[in-house]
Amino acid sequence: MRSMDENVSVSINRTGEPVGFLWRNSTYRVQTKPIRWFARRDWWLEAATVRRGVGAGVLEVEMWRMVASKAEAPEQKTQFEILHTAPSADGSKAIWRLVKVYD
Amino acid sequence: MNGFTHLHVASAFSGHYGVTRPETMAEAVAAAGSNALAIADRDGLYGSVKHIGACLKLGISPIVGVDLAILNEDGSFLARSVILSHGQDRGLGWAKLCEIVSVAHASRAKSGQLRKEHQIGIKRSQLAKILGESGGCTILIGPDSDVGRAVLAGPKQLAASLLAAWREAFKSPGAIGVEIVSHLTEPGTPYSTEQAQRMLSLADSLSVPTVLTNAVRYLEPDDALTADVLDSARHLEPLGLFTPQPNAQAWLKPALVMQALAIEICGEASRALQLLETTERLADRCRLDPVNDCAWGKPKTPEKSALGIDGNPFEVLWQKAHAGIDHYYRSANAALLSQVHHRLGQELITINKLGFATYFLTVADVAQMIRDMKIRSQARGSGAGSLTNYLLGISGVDPIEHDLLFERFLSTERSTLPDIDIDVESARRHDIYRAIFKRYGSTRVTLLSMQSTYRGRGAMRDSGMALGLEDEQIDDIAKNMWRFSARSFRGALGTKPELSALAAAVDEDRRMNLLVDITERLDRLPRHISMHPCGVILGDSTLLQRTSVEPSGLGLPMSQFDKDDMDPMGLLKLDVLGVRMQSAMAYAVREISRVRGEKLDLDNIPRDDPETFKTIRTTNTLGIFQIESPGQRELTGKHQPTEFNDLTIQISLFRPGPMKGNMIAPYLDGRHGFAKADFIHEDLVPILKETWGVVIFHEHVLRILNVMTGCTLAKADEMRRSLENPRAALAVKQFFHEKTRERGYSEAVISRVWSILEGFSSFGFCKAHGAAFALPTYQSAWLKTHFPTEFLAGLFTHDPGMYPKRLLMAEARRLGVKVLPLDVNKSSQEYLVEPEGIRLALTEVQGVSENEVARIIEEQPFKDIADFYLRVKPTRRTLERLALLGAFDSFGGKRRSDEAGDDPEVTRGDIIARVRQLNAIKSRPASEANQPTLDFQVLERLPTGHIEPTLAEKVSAELSLMKLDVTEHVIELYRPMLEEMGVVNANELVGLRNKSEVLIAGVRVATQTPPMRSGKRVVFISLDDGTGCSDSTFFDEAQARCSHILFNNRLLLISGKTRRTGVRGVSIMAENAWDLREMWEQWTKARPQFLERAAG
Repeated sequence: MRSMDENVSVSINRTGEPVGFLWRNSTYRVQTKPIRWFARRDWWLEAATVRRGVGAGVLEVEMWRMVASKAEAPEQKTQFEILHTAPSADGSKAIWRLVKVYD
Repeated sequence: MNGFTHLHVASAFSGHYGVTRPETMAEAVAAAGSNALAIADRDGLYGSVKHIGACLKLGISPIVGVDLAILNEDGSFLARSVILSHGQDRGLGWAKLCEIVSVAHASRAKSGQLRKEHQIGIKRSQLAKILGESGGCTILIGPDSDVGRAVLAGPKQLAASLLAAWREAFKSPGAIGVEIVSHLTEPGTPYSTEQAQRMLSLADSLSVPTVLTNAVRYLEPDDALTADVLDSARHLEPLGLFTPQPNAQAWLKPALVMQALAIEICGEASRALQLLETTERLADRCRLDPVNDCAWGKPKTPEKSALGIDGNPFEVLWQKAHAGIDHYYRSANAALLSQVHHRLGQELITINKLGFATYFLTVADVAQMIRDMKIRSQARGSGAGSLTNYLLGISGVDPIEHDLLFERFLSTERSTLPDIDIDVESARRHDIYRAIFKRYGSTRVTLLSMQSTYRGRGAMRDSGMALGLEDEQIDDIAKNMWRFSARSFRGALGTKPELSALAAAVDEDRRMNLLVDITERLDRLPRHISMHPCGVILGDSTLLQRTSVEPSGLGLPMSQFDKDDMDPMGLLKLDVLGVRMQSAMAYAVREISRVRGEKLDLDNIPRDDPETFKTIRTTNTLGIFQIESPGQRELTGKHQPTEFNDLTIQISLFRPGPMKGNMIAPYLDGRHGFAKADFIHEDLVPILKETWGVVIFHEHVLRILNVMTGCTLAKADEMRRSLENPRAALAVKQFFHEKTRERGYSEAVISRVWSILEGFSSFGFCKAHGAAFALPTYQSAWLKTHFPTEFLAGLFTHDPGMYPKRLLMAEARRLGVKVLPLDVNKSSQEYLVEPEGIRLALTEVQGVSENEVARIIEEQPFKDIADFYLRVKPTRRTLERLALLGAFDSFGGKRRSDEAGDDPEVTRGDIIARVRQLNAIKSRPASEANQPTLDFQVLERLPTGHIEPTLAEKVSAELSLMKLDVTEHVIELYRPMLEEMGVVNANELVGLRNKSEVLIAGVRVATQTPPMRSGKRVVFISLDDGTGCSDSTFFDEAQARCSHILFNNRLLLISGKTRRTGVRGVSIMAENAWDLREMWEQWTKARPQFLERAAG
């Protein structure tokens, strides 16, 4: 398992599940139903404010665990973990970051 | 499928765990269209009455459970489970739930054996025994159980056998269910979908019913941040040092989200639907019928047998009250007697109509019991307006003489149990509690609890701890937090000068900014449960089936419900409030009897003693109940009371309402003839003549409505209550205008009276309450006037007032009453009166244990220091401290001729040296008579050649070891500087002209920031300089100059102008303030000869 923190560009289906992503110039296709879960952040180390109503985004982050393979080598399956930050009200875009690769 | 019922919801009353108040949750689900909601607080039913009340109001079904640790036979942790009461079973489930919670608390494990969170728990076998065959509750086995852990970690068979064991343990039908929860945590961890799925298939394989919950801790995801801080407070560790909640999913998710979650867990719609259906089936089974299940709103008083009465309670009450007439109105004339009989008849009719005879008999029984115990007691509050209470001996104020109204206390227009509060000697309060338990039996009595809530400083402290701030930093911030709620912390930063340093830090330091945010979040959340300071619940023998109890600090069981829960639950609460002044007065009476042999009945002294009012009018009211505060002293100076009713009025006037409502000035103007009293209409003259036309009392409003509209007094009190609610006030307005017009009042009169009534709602005070307070005020003033020594001894012993004891010692000095130094042969645990003065008590010496004090008293008298050392066996520290404070000085004096030499007098220095010799002995010799130790048998030889400590050193020792300056006032140490600067003494202020520029100095004895009419903050500071007390007022501008000094320093120098406030009253409009010690340091730099003086 390798830990990292790299931007990836993810394509999702209608329900918001990732179906594929682009990473280091390779296209990956998700092979099985991805699992979504929520991890937490140590907001006291990083947040600038936690005023009432700031929202759970300061505390919580959506994670996706999925098995995917390169389009050109579908038999070579690898497990990935991608962190997702939803677009926020102040206009910032959705962010997807690859944080773990189980190779 | 519509709706979803949450069965696992912790409210904010789950201390340091839940975030949202029960009412808020109930409103949220009702608004979303649900028709039921459960509450399951951790370890108790703390929020359940509020939950039921909110649900009833919203028209949804309340469900109640508890979130409780279940233990193995050996006491080790098995599971944390929700246990839900079944409903509509005539209270079977509710009674079982109460019992389960009470048993869990009663068998609380000794600390250390289990994690703190699991110390309160119930063994599974105990639980099974309580549920028995008849059941009454359902236990949910969830993620935090042996089964939940096994499905994640153990072999498959293990989880199955563990669940089978649960099923085996309980015989009653529907006793267990498996709780399916997913907080969408990382797969393979607790509260993950994976765990939920395994629990589901395990339950299905054993045919155990399953229900879906969300193990809710808060209303919205945003609240999860608050939950993090509460977790920190619960763990007593900063964030980051313990395992925090996994994410922010434990919120009160709406039905649609829960339904989607069910599908995500079950993987298919039909199983999901089934899961949701069984959840609703259990919810249906648990819907409470509050009236029939919890005896909601049904008044419950002790049974006749428990009160020791036969026959009809009303007849007994009638007889007792009439018997009281002979006692209390022995010398009354015929007119008064007929008034008494008429009034009593009216009161008894009301009491009988309401069915409260037993209630009055109960309170009278308790009052009688307290009197039999020879403890001073007195009713307070609106109960003093009842003649019945007076005749039964519950209240000591004659309502006819003082013109008090019964209708303010009780009327047929209301049916809730009235409050009767009894003030007793604080030192005997616990004795009374125990006696009540003994008299009525522990099945009918519990103590009342209270939930303290987070306020400014507490919220900031726990927030600071969560963020890992240093204790010192937290202390510094706390010191400057005055008079604002945590909720408005950020707003206060910009407006309060003493917070300017913090405001700057918040701009620069991210952590300080977070501190402000989370402090605001904690504001007003319940913090912890404790014993209510005065409440006792008296019920019938089913009391423990109605409320859960837990041990109090006192050892006696305490209900988990608070005072607001009493009325809804139909429980009778008696307030037995400990009042230190009552103890102080009782002590004074005992000393008077011991020293002078005079038996004094304080309740029967004449209430028109001119000397007593003379004392009050000097404004030297320190130590007198209710009128010793700086503001009351100032008002006393202006008011100049001459009779008992004046005290009632003054106490009632000095409240935020009348102050804001500007009622004081017109009253004083009328009284002193500065302005002609304006009664508006001649009909109001008899009502308002006592207050010069100013409406002060609730009783005034009742009488005005009664006279002007012709309504009954009972109806008038209902209208008075309606005035507090703007919408209800409209109906009163209409009624008032209609009736007064009919009765021929002019429009001008009507509108003026109405504007007073309308504005009155938040200002007024119940006269009965004021009169009840005025009694101890008068009694204490009387004692101070006629027996100052004994009275001060009582004050020193019981410390009733707002001021530090050292200020009362200064008052003693002013009155010429000597405070005698400690003496091991004469001091005791109380302040004893001796012919020359009052002897300091041993209990003042810090670090001396209760046992040591008891041994000293037991072994008195002593012939010398060694004798004391052998028989008392004090610690080295105690022995040395007693010597430093002069407690052995009486062994000194002139040396015997055989050892006099050059040093005929023993000094305290010699005594301290002797004590240090004794302390240097490695092991204490045995003191048995048959093993005499040579060194101690001979007459003690005290060392020679040690100098007597200076006055400054003596005062310094007194201040550091007793926090008292006995030998002389601490300010004397600074005298040379103060004289050079021309500082004025407090007792000289009254002789100065108005607006004189002055400097005053002293020890700060009080700081107050009362609410002001303008909304601006004003700081009052009282300084004591040994000659008396001076009061300074700091307005905005002065505060800006010195607010950092105002709140932080003990010894102050203040500059300002004098301001006359009445015949005897002078206060100071402050301009600036300085730290006296800092001034001293600078001053002595140029004058080193004074340096050693103010070492203290």
